[in-house]
Amino acid sequence: MAEPAPGSQSSETTHPPRDVDELLDAVARGDRRAAEHLVDQTYPQVFAAQMRFTGGNTDLAADLTQDTYRKAWKSLANFDRRSRFSTWLYRIAYNTFLNHIRRPARLQPLDDHSSAVEDPRPGQEEWLERREVQERLRRAVIGLPEDLRFTVAARFWGEVPVEEIARHEDVTGAAIRKRLKKAMRMIQDALGEDAA
Amino acid sequence: MKTLRERDIERLLGDDPVGPNPGTPSATEPPADLAQRIKAEIPEDLGWIDTENSADTETPAVAPVVPMARPWKQRRWLVAASLFTVLGGSFFAWRLAQTPELTPQMSVPAAATFESSAERRLESAGEMRATRPDSSIQPATPTQAATAQAATAQDAPEPQPLKALGYVAYLDEALAGSETAGSEAAETKAQSPADPSTSTDFRAWTADTGHITPPAPPPLPTLRERLDASTDSKPAPPRVQARTAASPPPPPPSPAPRRKLAPPPEPLPRSKPLPPGRRAPLAEARAIDPPARRLAASPEPVAQGTQGILDSMASTGGTAEPNDAPFGDVFFESAGVNPFIDTEDDRLSTFGLDVDAASYGVARRYLNDGHLPPPAAIRVEEFVNAFDYGDTPPEDADFALHAEGAPSIYAPGERYHMLRFSIRGRDIDAADRAPALLTFVVDVSGSMAQDNRLGMVKQALGLLTDQLRDDDRVALVIYGSQGRVVLEPTGDLQAIRRAIDGLVSGGSTHAEEGLKLAYALAAEHRKPGMINRIILCSDGVANVGHTSADSIHEQIRHHAARGIELTTVGFGMGNYNDVLMETLARIGNGRYAYVDSLDEAHRIFVEDLTGTLQTLAAEARAQVEFNPEVVSRYRLLGYENRDIADHRFRDDTVDAGEIGAGHAVTVLYEVKLHDKPRKRDVLATLNLRYASIAQGEMVEQQRKVTGADLVRNFDKASKALRASVLVAEFAEILKRTHWAKDGDLDDVFRRAQKLSADFADDAMNRDMAEFVHLVGRAAAVSKR
Repeated sequence: MAEPAPGSQSSETTHPPRDVDELLDAVARGDRRAAEHLVDQTYPQVFAAQMRFTGGNTDLAADLTQDTYRKAWKSLANFDRRSRFSTWLYRIAYNTFLNHIRRPARLQPLDDHSSAVEDPRPGQEEWLERREVQERLRRAVIGLPEDLRFTVAARFWGEVPVEEIARHEDVTGAAIRKRLKKAMRMIQDALGEDAA
Repeated sequence: MKTLRERDIERLLGDDPVGPNPGTPSATEPPADLAQRIKAEIPEDLGWIDTENSADTETPAVAPVVPMARPWKQRRWLVAASLFTVLGGSFFAWRLAQTPELTPQMSVPAAATFESSAERRLESAGEMRATRPDSSIQPATPTQAATAQAATAQDAPEPQPLKALGYVAYLDEALAGSETAGSEAAETKAQSPADPSTSTDFRAWTADTGHITPPAPPPLPTLRERLDASTDSKPAPPRVQARTAASPPPPPPSPAPRRKLAPPPEPLPRSKPLPPGRRAPLAEARAIDPPARRLAASPEPVAQGTQGILDSMASTGGTAEPNDAPFGDVFFESAGVNPFIDTEDDRLSTFGLDVDAASYGVARRYLNDGHLPPPAAIRVEEFVNAFDYGDTPPEDADFALHAEGAPSIYAPGERYHMLRFSIRGRDIDAADRAPALLTFVVDVSGSMAQDNRLGMVKQALGLLTDQLRDDDRVALVIYGSQGRVVLEPTGDLQAIRRAIDGLVSGGSTHAEEGLKLAYALAAEHRKPGMINRIILCSDGVANVGHTSADSIHEQIRHHAARGIELTTVGFGMGNYNDVLMETLARIGNGRYAYVDSLDEAHRIFVEDLTGTLQTLAAEARAQVEFNPEVVSRYRLLGYENRDIADHRFRDDTVDAGEIGAGHAVTVLYEVKLHDKPRKRDVLATLNLRYASIAQGEMVEQQRKVTGADLVRNFDKASKALRASVLVAEFAEILKRTHWAKDGDLDDVFRRAQKLSADFADDAMNRDMAEFVHLVGRAAAVSKR
């Protein structure tokens, strides 16, 4: 159990900047403000991850971010701290997204928003092309088998280091690199089919 | 679109996402109110650690610790449930106080009410863990073993998390926690707000991360206090320290009043001592009515009414009565109970094989002494595997795989079936086994003087020595306060007998030094083609040296990887450490046996010596793949602490089980079928993978179960299936698992009695007779 912050009578009173571990300890004791700090420190990344997953659908990403935390609170007691908190949270975010797209009713909004281009401006062509490539890539990634999909998402979108993914997945770093290689080939194939 | 190279893809993937419109390059800025929206949803009952136990809070928490957030609607439900339980319990307690002449049978339901509610809470605790989002991740970090074959990779005592639900299924059900199974799980969870046992559970869970240690909530007596209290004559909580290790199951559907219809998962508590809260109400209930309890002290005939056997078991707490001589300071650890798993979620069931039967021996010891064994001492698979069901041995392969199924007698409806797989090892004649270098490590510490433990060890080793061949070698190491080599490896039987006879006990217990010496000796004299085995005889108390066990484990693993195997043989009961003995054998690639009588010693060291010494298969693991088209859900009976992640079935660094010559492993599943299967429908496929000692490589064998392997009626099933199912039911009742909560020892007794006639002219006759006797004992003891 971490020591209380110096000079504080209880964890309820003052909040000097604390690291995630300390915050988690405090949250474990029921410290609501620590939980708020934890949110402040982490939600931009979670939101960014959801933006990636959803292909830039801001509203959906915000909703899924909210969902992510809802689930995180429920499972926090079980977080074993083997991997980093951010990795753990990333996994929940990722799961939340997958769960979302698995519901047939909600497939639609994800798919059709990409073509909604309003207010065309100069540079639109290049933008459209980049956007299309990214969208194809995104779909190719989502179409990967589960273990590869998470690995790619975490590595490239979440910028989680290989070793950290390995710790989280309980495999070796080499296995993760292998997965990435395999995933790249599969994405390549998928994009090739797209083009054909 | 032009073709992209892998490097381009990597670069593009790493690019910032394109904004929704041209000119907004990055759109990762969260909406302004998002943080507020998230924070507004931080649950009220956030903490899950009992703040009283943390050094840095002064005010003890008044409210019971609530492990996780749960919607308040569900909480309302649980408040009602708790109120009901408490009021009901108080009523009974009051009734008891009013009418001291009430018979003990009548006092039973009161205790039962308390107990079963506690049980339910524990279950829910187990379920709660099941919803941890990273359940497919192994807590035990594997270390690469030096050699591929005999490697042990898993930190043995570290529990494997149960079935990895693939993330996919997992999402939809558990983690998503939204409308589907997740909320059902939450509903079950919601039963456990005010129960310290649950929170203990969770503290302990977290304790594994090294953050929290003290498990017992302060208002309840500490273990020490309980131990002290139990020396008084007043009724006291049991002295057993039941430790439980986790193996989080995926959450099956919510609780059902009727057994096995829609059963919730079993308690999988990881808490160190048995949550005191679980017993405390019982102690109170008992304290009110000591005369009634004393009345019941005399044993009763077995075939009495069956009402409330389980309940009365609950009331005896699985341990000794205060006025009898209980076994103090015994350490057991429950690995939880496997839940039902939907084949849709996870069609694979993977686990290491285990031929140990020590748990049955321990239970026998308890029952013969007139006590019910503590539930944590029961490992169902070790009960089932304590019997030789007479399966035919293979003709050429290492193993013969058998499979059969019959409708379950313990679950309603014809769709529930029991499947029995048997993995029967090849017999090897005593003359054909490899010569052995046996290093006996004998605990001669003071505790071994109790109830003639050392005497029993001497007799047991004497029996073994009589079976040795000329080319075998024996060394003897003892440890008390210090370790000492008494006998260098020799084939001189006279010298061996003299050395064994000369053992005297005294001093403390430096097990580590004893083992170290033995390993050094065994390593020094190791010869290719020779069995190299250390046989540790102890009561499991290791009180000097690195008792933390980790360092012992490391050494054992090291040597096991080099072919020196460790068999542990337990003696004695007071002060007995089942956890240590089981763990040492598991990581030492050996077998764990418990010798409660000379009979058992005879069984292990004479009748089954070849199997005890000659390993047939190392790192043996099984993976059963269920066909979701035919089987809707399944439940593995036992093997909880042998769980292996599905994807590591072919990872040969994962530590699994060793199987000796002539040994058979029985695996039971309870399955629910979608429909009546056709003869050719495949229900499941058993894949066995092991390192074959004979062939020197990893080998796989397979056996399918089809509709043709099912019989229509349980009574028409083979006697092996019927016997194993009864034995498992007996174990589950003693373990007080959810699945056997309606179990009836009298019924098991009657069935076993009937069945034993079938074994009358059979090698198993004696064992069956003993089984019948033990079930009868248990039924009688539980009625006290």
